[in-house]
Amino acid sequence: MTLISLKSIYKIYNVGGEEVRALDGVGLEIKENEYLAIMGPSGSGKSTMMNMIGCLDTPTSGFYQFEGEMVNEMDDDQLASIRNRKIGFIFQTFNLLPKATSQHNVEIPLIYANIRKNKRTELAMEALNSVGLSDRMHHKPNELSGGQRQRVAIARALVNSPSIILADEPTGNLDSKSGHEIMVILDKLHKAGNTIILVTHEDEIAQHAHRIIRLFDGKIIEDSEIKK
Amino acid sequence: MLLLLENFLISISAIFANKARSSLTALGIVIGVFSVTMMGTLITGLDKTFEGSMSFLGKNILYVGRWEWFSDMDWWEMKNRPRIKLEYIDKIKNKSDLVLAVAPERRKGVSISYQEKNTGIEIFGTSENYMKTISSNIVSGRFFTNNEDRSGSRIIVIGDGVKKAFFGEKNPIGEKIKINNIKFRIIGVLEEQGKFMGIWSLDNRAIIPLGTYERIFSRRDFLTMRVKIPDKNLNEGKDEIMTIMRHLRSLKPNQKNDFSINQTKAFEKQYNSLKLAIGGTGTFITLLSLIVGGIGVMNIMFVSVKERTREIGVRKAIGATKGMIMGQFLMEAITICLFAGLTGLLFAYISSFFLNKLFPSTLDLGLATFAILISMLVGVVSGFIPSYQAANLDPIDSLRYE
Ligand SMILES: Nc1ncnc2c1ncn2[C@@H]1O[C@H](COP(=O)(O)OP(=O)(O)OP(=O)(O)O)[C@@H](O)[C@H]1O
Ligand SMILES: [Mg+2]
Repeated sequence: MTLISLKSIYKIYNVGGEEVRALDGVGLEIKENEYLAIMGPSGSGKSTMMNMIGCLDTPTSGFYQFEGEMVNEMDDDQLASIRNRKIGFIFQTFNLLPKATSQHNVEIPLIYANIRKNKRTELAMEALNSVGLSDRMHHKPNELSGGQRQRVAIARALVNSPSIILADEPTGNLDSKSGHEIMVILDKLHKAGNTIILVTHEDEIAQHAHRIIRLFDGKIIEDSEIKK
Repeated sequence: MLLLLENFLISISAIFANKARSSLTALGIVIGVFSVTMMGTLITGLDKTFEGSMSFLGKNILYVGRWEWFSDMDWWEMKNRPRIKLEYIDKIKNKSDLVLAVAPERRKGVSISYQEKNTGIEIFGTSENYMKTISSNIVSGRFFTNNEDRSGSRIIVIGDGVKKAFFGEKNPIGEKIKINNIKFRIIGVLEEQGKFMGIWSLDNRAIIPLGTYERIFSRRDFLTMRVKIPDKNLNEGKDEIMTIMRHLRSLKPNQKNDFSINQTKAFEKQYNSLKLAIGGTGTFITLLSLIVGGIGVMNIMFVSVKERTREIGVRKAIGATKGMIMGQFLMEAITICLFAGLTGLLFAYISSFFLNKLFPSTLDLGLATFAILISMLVGVVSGFIPSYQAANLDPIDSLRYE
């Protein structure tokens, strides 16, 4: 089933009177339980595309359907609700709240989903458990290694059982060993039925995916399946 | 509701992470809440004291004499008014329909001694009727009679202060005390009065018959008449006395009064303007400090929003709506102000204990609640713009913010 459908998406910035086409007429379909890697040189529009898919950014023009619903026509609160329930973000820089424990960080999406405290704790524990951090519940980010922080961030992305997980260079700030651990988790999530979109520079990381898209100057120049 | 609690917890941790900064900026609100509650406490305390003092002076007593209590008339003009004569008393009583009692009163400061001790008091010369015109009672012994007055007996009724100073718990009745080396026999003790407006003791006084007073001291000291009127006829009574006095003084219709009729109402006017002054000053200080505090809180909230731009971006990315972000920062501002308000209230509570030594003053619960609500309102007002700004940050820009 088609989860995401982008049609002639443009994102155009105006910098000092000059047009910057971050996305230049992108069309793309993503089905349920796909494992997609987006590649391309710096400035090619990978993050812009991720933000668009994640309903954080709105296109200058074009159509975006998420689970059959027109995202273009949604107001701020509806977008927030989609981000909360349907999308799990994983950032290169983790973006955990520095003063909160792992448990609290993971619970935040649940707070916004208006879920009771008991249920929240239960779900957060479950999510942390699935990334192998059940013994780090009460640690704050600065008491964790980079790899562990990213795993907390993954738990946070997972906790609301989203339709899709978006990871923008999730291993970019990690050494290869921790990076590998993160990829093992993502593979596992994919096997469990999750849809995953991943931005990366590294071919080795991209090889985990089943489909690779290459961007160049805001255009898709290649869209290929990886035969396993 | 859930979110409210969460926001409250977030605010508490945010505030405690910046204790010094938060408490410093909120100082204005501490002062504001302190001053508004102290003002209220002061005024209710003064009210109580004033009520007490007024009932001592007697709301239904007219004081007829030469001096206007509160007036911008020149003092020498009043001084040159003709004297109040003792014979007026009987004439007023005979001519008036309303008057319940009239008593003369002469007074002066004297030194009084018992054995080795001595103290300064105010001595009153009056008649038997005096007791009908005051609100206090004799607690032991008795008052003097008309005969004792006429014969100039050397007897004295002492105030509670004199009794305490000279006799402590002993019974003073029958003891002799001296004024100007003249011995007086104590025949009665007046009930304790407390202090007038919490300042002047009303117990350091003694009463002797007017006849005795005039023989020993002077016939020329100012004479005041205390005229008792039924509560409900106060104004008619005043008019009646005025007519009688003008007649006694043979004044023509175009001539001004050459006497005064004073009432405790005059004090009330005076008191109300004092209250207005306290209220005005208090309100001014309160408003000023709340404004200063509010600006401080607004400032700190702008800083807080700026510092946490990235956090705002993250929160939005994982599903916070504008309203939720707005709520979080508003709650933070309100919480700062709430803490400040509670601190101010605590100071006010402590201060009211000290104030209580001067006159009865207790922190009013309604006022305390009002002050807390006001401080929270300051939180809403001063937190509004920063919170609005936070709520409307672009999520992508904020996520990129270093
Ligand atoms: N707010 C903005 N204003 C102006 N130009 C922007 C803005 N955001 C992005 N761009 C431009 O859009 C283009 C795409 O940016 P994007 O962040 O998507 O690149 P990227 O592929 O993620 O690069 P990298 O690999 O370095 O992260 C870039 O040329 C960038 O300069
Ligand atoms: Mg990028």
